[in-house]
Amino acid sequence: MEAPVLTADSEKLIEISKVTGAGLELREMEKIAEYFSQKKRNPTDVELQALGQAWSEHCSYKTSMPILKEVLLDIEAPQNMVVVEEDAGVVTFDADHAYVIAFESHNHPSAIEPYGGAATGIGGILRDVVCMGAQPVALVDPLFFGPLDYAESLPKGVKHPKFLFSGVVAGIRDYGNRVGIPTVAGQVFFNQGYISNCIVNVGCIGIVRKKDIIHSRVGTPGDYFILVGGRTGRDGIHGVTFASAELHENSEHESRSAVQVGDPILKEPLIHACLEANQRKLLTGMKDLGGGGLSCAVGEMAYAAGYGAEASLDDVPLKEKGMESWEIWISESQERMMLSVAPPNIEEVKQIFQKWDVPCTIIGKVIPEKVLRITHQGKIILEMELDFLTKSPQYHRPYTAREITPVIPALTPPEDYNEILLKLLSSPFICSKDWVIRQYDHEVRGATVIKPLQGKIGHSTHGDAAVIKPLRNSFKGLAITADVNPRWVKIDPYWGAAAAVDEVCRNLAAVGAVPHSLADCLNFGNPEKPERLGDFVRVAKGLHLVASAMNISFVSGNVSFYNESHSGAIPPTPTILGVGIVEDIRKAVTADLKRSKNSLYQIGEAENEMGGSEYYRIRSVYGNQIPRTDPEKLKNRITTLLTAISRGLVVSCHDISHGGLATCICEMALGGNTGVTVSVSDLLDVELFAESNSRWVVEVEKGKETEFEALFEEDAHYLGDISGKRISINDVIDLSLREVRTAWETPLWRLMG
Amino acid sequence: MGNPIVEVDGMINICILRIEGTNCEQETYDAFLELGAQPELVHLKELTPQNLFDYQCLMIPGGFSSGDYVRAGAIFAARIRSNLISALREYVDTGYPVGGICNGFQILVELGLLPRVSEHPEACLATNDSARFECRPTLLKLENHCAFTQKMDIGSVYEIPSAHAEGKFVSPLTEELMGNGQVIFRYCNPEGEYAGYPWNPNGSQYNIAGIANEQGNVFGVMPHPERAFTIYQNQDWTRRTSTDGAHGRLVFESVLEYARRL
Repeated sequence: MEAPVLTADSEKLIEISKVTGAGLELREMEKIAEYFSQKKRNPTDVELQALGQAWSEHCSYKTSMPILKEVLLDIEAPQNMVVVEEDAGVVTFDADHAYVIAFESHNHPSAIEPYGGAATGIGGILRDVVCMGAQPVALVDPLFFGPLDYAESLPKGVKHPKFLFSGVVAGIRDYGNRVGIPTVAGQVFFNQGYISNCIVNVGCIGIVRKKDIIHSRVGTPGDYFILVGGRTGRDGIHGVTFASAELHENSEHESRSAVQVGDPILKEPLIHACLEANQRKLLTGMKDLGGGGLSCAVGEMAYAAGYGAEASLDDVPLKEKGMESWEIWISESQERMMLSVAPPNIEEVKQIFQKWDVPCTIIGKVIPEKVLRITHQGKIILEMELDFLTKSPQYHRPYTAREITPVIPALTPPEDYNEILLKLLSSPFICSKDWVIRQYDHEVRGATVIKPLQGKIGHSTHGDAAVIKPLRNSFKGLAITADVNPRWVKIDPYWGAAAAVDEVCRNLAAVGAVPHSLADCLNFGNPEKPERLGDFVRVAKGLHLVASAMNISFVSGNVSFYNESHSGAIPPTPTILGVGIVEDIRKAVTADLKRSKNSLYQIGEAENEMGGSEYYRIRSVYGNQIPRTDPEKLKNRITTLLTAISRGLVVSCHDISHGGLATCICEMALGGNTGVTVSVSDLLDVELFAESNSRWVVEVEKGKETEFEALFEEDAHYLGDISGKRISINDVIDLSLREVRTAWETPLWRLMG
Repeated sequence: MGNPIVEVDGMINICILRIEGTNCEQETYDAFLELGAQPELVHLKELTPQNLFDYQCLMIPGGFSSGDYVRAGAIFAARIRSNLISALREYVDTGYPVGGICNGFQILVELGLLPRVSEHPEACLATNDSARFECRPTLLKLENHCAFTQKMDIGSVYEIPSAHAEGKFVSPLTEELMGNGQVIFRYCNPEGEYAGYPWNPNGSQYNIAGIANEQGNVFGVMPHPERAFTIYQNQDWTRRTSTDGAHGRLVFESVLEYARRL
């Protein structure tokens, strides 16, 4: 079938783009018309669809990449091996090994179909890591929803946050647990701004021998393309174009088919077989079939090596009969990978996949000319130069920076500090997330040496970062965490983004890890609106501020725009995934308090910058002076803290974040099931509840205080010691552990059952 | 990690059986390797009634074999049944040790090898009382010995974590099993008492976590000893002052000891 663009005027061009669902803008349709007028023919429907995929925001980063290249991606770190250009980043782990990071969003599918959307999000991120030749070792799931107790009427076509939350958690649980990769970190955040657009981000870390790293590009002309894994069906049609437009009230009806169906029990043997074929050096290239399906994988793999490809759709294993050529070509059906293999190795590759009962089909081969030529049932259905198809347009869209006028509320100190602290502990942002965490298998593979819930058995508390020991014969570990406070980013994109990197780094340092690399999942509204893009630019600058001072790079990531609907945009949500190196996991530190009579210290100071804090929220006041960060201070404190940990001075450590110092101390006390007696200076609400950056509470082994204080000089502030079974702060807070535990442990269970 | 502490005279070959969805095979493999045995990951398709007898121990690791979309373990068991069941019964009769961890336990029950040889399952690992998958540390008290526990002490409490959605042991034979020493591990609290949820994470009858056949050479357990092979896998290891307490390791040491004496 042809798309009649040669004779079409502007109005008609837009109509063609709309009717076919290709999702292309007018100026793009015009470019296509011009290209095909030189060819003296109209494009086929397959060609138009392929262009729609390749030039979508989701695949091409046409709006974000020019900005990111300018302000964020210039940091160079010696440990980096592959940065940004492939499906995942690769970073040196030790002399022989590298680790691989990938981080993505699965927002739109999860808003429509939370269970399947979240599950296939995991499927996709696993493939991104596997296609570099790596064994996945950990999954990370930061989640953002509307308030669980939301009682007002929902916008049309929107599902209740509680339904979305339980569906997403179940999807992650059922896929992640079945595929046998532990889910070790993440966050759960609630805000009105996510009611119409929940945000589901998913990250994966893998480990690979350096000599087994493989790339998403073919070897030489003559190599075969082998499609392995699941059958191709009508699920996942137009996933990327769906992700590159706003949601609306009919999205479910119109785009339900954009959500794929996941099968972890096909993925599990697919991973084994791909890794085995790679380790036996039978492959020249490997790429996952994600957004855009075959249409993106074949062309991109050939183009990345400077060649072209010929392929036929005749042998592609299908889920159903009667699929149109274009549907086969762009379907995003799950559990598929593309391999490029030199002819002598074909049989051996086939045998490996047969052993695992995983379908394995030759569909085409690499040709020297940079052309993509696809046939189906004897006809050429696509023939385009890859220079045209793969090189999408890049846009410098207009953006504006919002004005932020300072607001500092007048607020008298609270009458009852006990009541405030209990309210903070039961806030959905602070309370125990064990309802979620225990549903995920966080220790399959047996390598999770610091777990997301830690402390005395039966008295767990939240940790700062999980630690994986990825190699059997080495005590070196990978610390993993993900953070962002969207409330802050909404108030001030620059400092909010800077704070997210600060929090990631201090979480890594808290367990004894050197911050080593970052990945970002940048979730925003519609970038065609200048104010939204203005937020994006300032976020990128804020991320750069702290990352460059720490000398670590964003090695991979994802931009998700159009998280917006008729009821507005989400709060800008730059979720940051951080990986740190623990030189010897036997020296790692957890947050739970250890022993009576040990001393507690605060590293860093609270400032009167309480905009966007939990304390303001609970007291129902608004202020917009969010915490700033001084990256040099952060860097120096991390260096000193890591020295203190390696010398064995620190026996527990927890970063100060949501809820401030008082909350931090309570969480540590709960994990050790022990009380504390603490005193701070007079400005009580700031001291106890401010969420200023670059701070930790540490427990120092009795008798080692002098050595500890000498290391930190003026940055360490003595707070008190570990004693009894009550939380006692100055003369304003006096609570039993039982009261504290009930406030912190029960809220999510009450809401979710 | 470290040197193997078990000195083995002849190599002990361990078959670690897997199909699609088996996912605790690598850590089970590593545990045996660490102790100086010769483990092998064997796909069900590669195991025959003949080569089964090349191995001195058969292990069925945890996971979600075939997805466990019907009763957990049922499909894996049906596939074993189709060509291996008589060889497997002979293997058991000969006295070779057979162990099933988590999904492996479910499979041994579905196969009719636990609690005793039967054509149809005589027990069930039912959905947890909480109706959801739960991953948490659990404490087990050793009640009776079997081929997998000789290096442990009856009455002692061992820290071995659980992670399952279907682990509630239910059987019409439970009273009998309790009476004749086939109950090997029971869930307990830190004081060693048979306590309720969350110490008993699934609602098992009599807090049963693991059982053996009457001969003591077929053993099934829901918690994961391979996840307690070093102390650094325990939730609370940063609280400890000694490096003792890698309790899962004892299970592997015990069965190697048993296999060596065969």
